[in-house]
Amino acid sequence: MRISTVTMYEQSINSLNRQQGDFLKVGQQIATGRRVVNPSDDPQAASRAVAVSQAKAVTQQYADSRISARNTLAQTESVLNSVGDAITSAKTLLVQAASDTLSDADRQSVASELRGVYETLIGQANATDGNGRYLFGGYQDDSPPFARTDGEGVSGVNYVGDGNAREQRIDASRLMAVAENGKTIFQSVPSGAGYVARAELGDGARNEGSLTFTSGPSRVDPNDPAFGGSFTLQFDVDDTGSAVVRAVDAAGDNVLDAEGTPILNAPYAPGQTISVGGVSITLEGTPANGDQIQLRPANADDANQDLFKSLKDAIDVLEMDQQGTAENRALFRNTINTVMRELDNNLDNVLTVRASVGARLNELDVVDSVAGNRMLNYEQTLSDLIDLDYAQAISEYSLRQVGLQAAQKAFVDIKSMSLFDYLR
Amino acid sequence: MSIFSIGLSGLNAAQNALNTTSNNISNVYTPGYNREVTILGEGRGDGGVRVNDIQRQFNQYVANQLNSATSSSSALSAYQNQISQIDNLLADRDAGLAPLMQNFFSSLEDLAGAPSDPAARQGVLGTAQTLTAQFRAFDSYLQDMQQGINGQIRDEVIQINNTTEQLAMLNREIALARARTGEAPNGLLNQRDQLVAELSERMDVRLVIQDGKSYNISLPNGQPLVSGTNHYKLEAMDSPNDPQRTILGYRDSGGSLVALPENTVKGGTLGGLMAFRAETLDKTQNQIGQLAVSLAVGFNEQHAKGTGLDGEPGGDFFNIAGPTVFGHAHNIADIAVEASFDATDIGALRATDYSIRFLDDATAEITVKQGGERFTQPLDGDLLSFGGITLSFTDAPQAGDRFEVQPVRRAAQGFETAIEGTDQIAAGLSGATGDNENALALQGLQDNMLVGGRASFNQAYASMVSDVGNKTNVVQVNLEARQGLTDQLRAVQQSESGVNLDEEAANLLRYQQFYAANARVIDTASTIFDTILGLRS
Repeated sequence: MRISTVTMYEQSINSLNRQQGDFLKVGQQIATGRRVVNPSDDPQAASRAVAVSQAKAVTQQYADSRISARNTLAQTESVLNSVGDAITSAKTLLVQAASDTLSDADRQSVASELRGVYETLIGQANATDGNGRYLFGGYQDDSPPFARTDGEGVSGVNYVGDGNAREQRIDASRLMAVAENGKTIFQSVPSGAGYVARAELGDGARNEGSLTFTSGPSRVDPNDPAFGGSFTLQFDVDDTGSAVVRAVDAAGDNVLDAEGTPILNAPYAPGQTISVGGVSITLEGTPANGDQIQLRPANADDANQDLFKSLKDAIDVLEMDQQGTAENRALFRNTINTVMRELDNNLDNVLTVRASVGARLNELDVVDSVAGNRMLNYEQTLSDLIDLDYAQAISEYSLRQVGLQAAQKAFVDIKSMSLFDYLR
Repeated sequence: MSIFSIGLSGLNAAQNALNTTSNNISNVYTPGYNREVTILGEGRGDGGVRVNDIQRQFNQYVANQLNSATSSSSALSAYQNQISQIDNLLADRDAGLAPLMQNFFSSLEDLAGAPSDPAARQGVLGTAQTLTAQFRAFDSYLQDMQQGINGQIRDEVIQINNTTEQLAMLNREIALARARTGEAPNGLLNQRDQLVAELSERMDVRLVIQDGKSYNISLPNGQPLVSGTNHYKLEAMDSPNDPQRTILGYRDSGGSLVALPENTVKGGTLGGLMAFRAETLDKTQNQIGQLAVSLAVGFNEQHAKGTGLDGEPGGDFFNIAGPTVFGHAHNIADIAVEASFDATDIGALRATDYSIRFLDDATAEITVKQGGERFTQPLDGDLLSFGGITLSFTDAPQAGDRFEVQPVRRAAQGFETAIEGTDQIAAGLSGATGDNENALALQGLQDNMLVGGRASFNQAYASMVSDVGNKTNVVQVNLEARQGLTDQLRAVQQSESGVNLDEEAANLLRYQQFYAANARVIDTASTIFDTILGLRS
């Protein structure tokens, strides 16, 4: 075939161009460390890489989320730890105060110690995270969730936060509560905590007589149909001083005793044990007309579940001048008994919450290690998709280099071959 | 016939042959030059040699094949040149849209962790601004390409008109030369064939040779561009249904301008540009727009469910440019159309344009431009809702009125962060400082199938990367194959018509000897003559 001079030149140039292009392409791959530089280099890999990098980014989001969740939960756990200690020391003080041998002055000193514990607890309940956000206010994290109230005795507190618990997405399908609100921690009692007795009127006003409960309330028959409700023992005392008792439920209806007869105007004598709705309580002392004993399941809505009210009640009676009267002594004894039981329940609750926080911290660790593996997989996949195999690339690089040099040599040789050179 | 005359005819022939060889050598690198060969013949009757012809080595069949191959490969080359710009745009992994969307949603995660933290809120605003700015940058990059193509079409049309004008002129000159001498000069023929080759690089044309003499050139659809000594002009004009789009118009012999369908020209640079615009550029722009609209509308909808720290319900987080509607230039009346996105049906939003033709004043026939399916939709009052958009016509359209709707084409251009203060970010449902429920819901949008109802934001982006990558890849492979074929045809054409310097060097030697030999004949004749003259003395 005839080859025109232009063809020789063009073909040499074309092959030079092609070799140079291939050589530069490998050079670019080596310089960037990527096999897929442009989407067109490997469209499937490039689009899969977008998807994998999204999965990686989302995994990273959840990892970041776990860091802040762990931070909040760890702070919560540490506060709950102190709260548990404080409740325990409050209980110790109350045991000490319950002794009959204490004078008013001794009780004052216990009271002032208890005040210290009380204030500590309020401080813990209004704890903030590192950013000045209140830990236990629910969504209301910009002001102290436990606000001071005015009134008689030691100043009480009122929960002004809300019942929400902030959640964070710590994994693709796991929304975890990372905060506990004050209501759950300080104003709740776990279910199944049994009955708590309060010697007071329905509106919380004190009894006038010297009625005390010495033992109970204790559960005797959980199968009693009325068991689980709240009851009120109400005492009527006539002019002769003889007292009768009747038991009503929350609706005001009479409650039946174990034999099925209504407890209505049953005679009362000190030392008597009264069974009502499967719960028994032993009473001492003399009631005044209209005195009441409230028997409520510890987690009932109308029962006191508020740790701070329990402590305030205890401090108030400790600071009370008993004036040596049997009525005041009965008020003191009843209150301390009730508060001891309530503190037990509150402590249980705090420990339960703390355990749940601890469990969540453990879960975060587990998710962390699972997600860490997942992240490694994504990185490996991403690298397999778009990163360069250097060994392969470098051998390709040398190969292209040889190809380019050969093309250059061929070009020079062909251009230097001309018949005109021999025409002299 | 004397020896003198014979020698003279040889000298003459040798001179001609040397001329031809020199001409070949001097034109070795001249584009469009066809090698010439001196055809010698015996002298008539009484000996000697004569030059029968200086023959141009040109093969019309090969030239046609080469021209058509050039058309295809220059179309692919123009396509490749353009699409690789988008390919490069998507190659940047750090400034691409995917990482910026990831950053944005990651900042929402920070917000969910600390819903009232000013730094977290500022972070959300910052990443949103970066994201929207990048969407706008993508849009303006693609829009620049649109305008670049408009400009290139105008340039091409000017060049094409120049070429067809010259062709008509050459037809005339060649006819005149033929009339004068009976032969057409090789130079003019070369020029004319070269013009056809140049024209083939710009567009695919049909060449019909009339009576073996005059070149008639027409568009692929048969409309003539050059007919004998006449030529007809193409014009770059605004599309009647989209004034921002330059298309080809044909000025017919009656002087009226007719818009040519965009797929009339398929080959050459012009065809490559047109095909790239219709197949890839429009689509990519629509995909970016669809992504922006889905993100903006979906996000705004969720954002509105929350409450800001200022206590106000969440307002629009993003602004987005609405759909674009153009009334056809030939509509009976110029009816203003307001278009908006239909937030309740945003899943139906597609990355396509639509053309609407009213069958009567209450029924529209809608054609999906990317896909081609067609459906009719009755007008609901003055409203026409389809594909995630609602059009409101200020006046009743007439039968035959046409509209071009681009729901998302330029949407990304108006994609920006609407809220200014960090307090306006509705992280919670209640507006309480610790409420992060809406932030969680907003963060969760990244996994929702919000784009076209079947892809997440990231998946939509990934499919765009895949579309562009695949198309670029296919074009590159086709271009290489085509180019190989074209190179081969060119080698075939050159093997017949191209000059080989070694061959010409040999010819030079040959004809030099030829010349010298003939000179020697004359010398010998002279000697013989002298001998005869010397007999007397």
